[in-house]
Amino acid sequence: MSPRKAFDEARLMLVGVLILIWTLIPIYHLFVMSITPQAEAFAGAVWPKSPTLDNYTTVLTQGHYFLGHFWQQLFNSAMVAVAVAVLTLTVGACASFAISRLRVRIGETVSNLALLTYLIPAAFLAIPMYATMGQYGLLGSRWSLILTMVTFASPYAIWMLRQYADKLPYELDEAARIDGASPIQIFWLIYLPLMMPSMVAIGTYALLLAWNEYLYAFLLLSADTEITLSVALGHFLSTDDAPWNLLMATGIIYALPPAAIYYAFRRYMVAGLTAGAVKS
Amino acid sequence: MASVSVEAVRKRYGALEVIHGIDIKIPDGEFVVLVGPSGCGKSTLLRMIAGLEEISGGVVRIGDKVVNEVPSKDRDIAMVFQNYALYPHMTVRENMGFSLKLRKAERGVIAERVKKASQILGLDPYLERYPKQLSGGQRQRVAMGRAIVRNPQVFLFDEPLSNLDAKLRVQMRTEIKALHQQLKTTSIYVTHDQIEAMTMADRIVVMHDGIVEQIGSPLELYEQPANLFVAGFIGSPAINLIHGKLRRDGTRNWVATDAGVDLPLDGNAAGQDGQPVVYGIRPEHLAPSDSSGLPVTVSVVEPTGASTFVYADLSGAQICGVFAEHHGIHPGNRMNFMPRLDRVHLFDAGTGKRLAG
Repeated sequence: MSPRKAFDEARLMLVGVLILIWTLIPIYHLFVMSITPQAEAFAGAVWPKSPTLDNYTTVLTQGHYFLGHFWQQLFNSAMVAVAVAVLTLTVGACASFAISRLRVRIGETVSNLALLTYLIPAAFLAIPMYATMGQYGLLGSRWSLILTMVTFASPYAIWMLRQYADKLPYELDEAARIDGASPIQIFWLIYLPLMMPSMVAIGTYALLLAWNEYLYAFLLLSADTEITLSVALGHFLSTDDAPWNLLMATGIIYALPPAAIYYAFRRYMVAGLTAGAVKS
Repeated sequence: MASVSVEAVRKRYGALEVIHGIDIKIPDGEFVVLVGPSGCGKSTLLRMIAGLEEISGGVVRIGDKVVNEVPSKDRDIAMVFQNYALYPHMTVRENMGFSLKLRKAERGVIAERVKKASQILGLDPYLERYPKQLSGGQRQRVAMGRAIVRNPQVFLFDEPLSNLDAKLRVQMRTEIKALHQQLKTTSIYVTHDQIEAMTMADRIVVMHDGIVEQIGSPLELYEQPANLFVAGFIGSPAINLIHGKLRRDGTRNWVATDAGVDLPLDGNAAGQDGQPVVYGIRPEHLAPSDSSGLPVTVSVVEPTGASTFVYADLSGAQICGVFAEHHGIHPGNRMNFMPRLDRVHLFDAGTGKRLAG
C-alpha cells in the first residue's frame, strides 16, 4: 500500500471510529445506568462502583409502582406490532397484486395516491384520527392503535410491494393462466411465494414502526393494562424523582426485540431498502 | 387434438387497429408457422388464440367450439414463451406437473405423465433441479415439457428459440419438429426468422402490417411468392428485385430497365407490353457466365465455404448471386450473371402482385 493510500485509509478509519463512538455512547449510557444501584444513579461514573442486575430483577418481577403491568404492557407492544405487520402485509399484498398483476384500471392512481399520503406528516393527523376512533367507539382499545398504525404503514407497503411485483415477469402469470390457474390460485401459488423476501422486509418495517410508536399509543390508549411499553416508559417521567436506573433497564429490554429482528432479517432489510429504490 | 380456425379476426387498441381481419384454417395435427417482421401482429394473433388478448372482432374456434369468451384456462391449450416463464420457486418436476395439479389430477397420474414427458425430452436427470440451475436449452425443454404433460388440443409457441444461441437454436428446431412428428398435436408457432419458418412448418402464414400476405407450404412460398413482400421476406440472401418495363415484340419477351439493361424472360411470361414491372430473381438462380446474361461489375465477394455470395453492380442496381463454386471471382471483375429463366418472378410494379405466368 502506498503511503498516500494508507493516509486516505487512516482518515476514513478516523471518521468511522468517531461515528461509531457517537452512536454507541447513548447505548453505553443506557446500559451503565441499567446496572447502577439507585443510590449511585447520579454519581456520574463511567463504570458503577458496584454493578448489579437488581434493576432487571425488579423490572421482570414487576417490583415497582411504574412497572406494575410490565409483562402485560410488553405483551401489548408485541401484540400490536404483530397485528400491524400481519394486517399491513395483507393489505399490501392484495393491493399490489391487484395493481401489478391483475392490472385493474385505477391501479396506477391508487398507487400514486398511496405515495401522496406521505406528504402529510403523521402528527398532523393526530386529532382527526383521535376523533375518528372516538366515533368508532374504539378509544382506549388496542385496536384503535392497530388500525391507526396499519393506516400509516399500508401506503408505503403498497408502494414498495408494487415496485417488487412489477419486477416479476408477467409471462409467469400468463403461463399460470394457460396452465389453468384462477387469479386466486395465481396469488397463492405463484405470487406470494415469489414475493416472500420483500414481504419479510415490509413486514419487518411495519412491525418495527408499530413497536416504536409513541405518539399515537399515548394518545389513543389510557388504561395501564392497555398501553404499550413505550407509553409506560414515558410514564416514568411523570414524577420528579424518576427511577432512572429502572427506566434504563426497561429501555434495554424494550430495545432487544427490534435488535434481534433486525439481525435475523438484515439480509432482507438491506435488499428491501435498496431494491425498491431504483426501478430497473 | 383439434383444428383451429381464425375467421375475420381483428384487434383494436382504442382507435388503432393492428390486425385487420385475418382468416386462417388450421387442420387437426398441422404445424403452422406465423412469420413476419416485428410489429406485423403475429404475436398478438397468437395471444388472441391463447386467450391472453381480447378479440376485438371475428371468431376464433378450437375444434368446433367458439372460444372468443372462453378464458385461457378452459381453452385446453399449452403455450411455450420466449423467456420460458418457468416458475422459479418450483423444481422441474413441479413446473411440469403444475397444470395437472391445478386440475386435481391424482398424484400417480401426475408422476407418470411427468416421467413420460421428461423421458421424451431427456430431462430425467434434472427433475429435482430449480430453473436457475439449468442452461438455456434445458429451460426451453422444461417449458416444452410443461406443455406436453397436459396433452392439450393445441400447442402455441411464441418465438421459443429467440433467446438461445445460434447452434442450440438449430438443434432445438429439429427437436421441436421431431416432437411434433411424434405427438402430432396441432401447433401454431410464431417466429420472425424465415429459416425457422421454412424448416419447421407444414404451412407458413406470412404476415405484414396486420394482414396475411400469403399462406402456403414452404416451397410454395419460395417458388410462387404471391407478391413482392413475400418474395423479399422468404429466402436468404434476399431475392434480387429490379424495376423496369415489360417488353414483348411477338418473338421474345424481356424487361427493359431504366438504365437500359435488358433482362431476359422466357416465352410465356404474362403481362402487357410497356407495363411497369419488378423483375425478381433469387441469388441462387443466377449462374456465372463469360458471355451471355446480365453484365455486372463485382463489388464484394463473401465466401461461406459451402457457397460464395457475390454482390455486384448492374448499371446502378445492386444484385447478389450465390454460387456453389468460388470461380476465382474478385472485386472489380467484370462478368455476366445468367438467370435461370424458369425461375424468374414478375410482379406488377403498382400493386406488387405476382403476374400469373
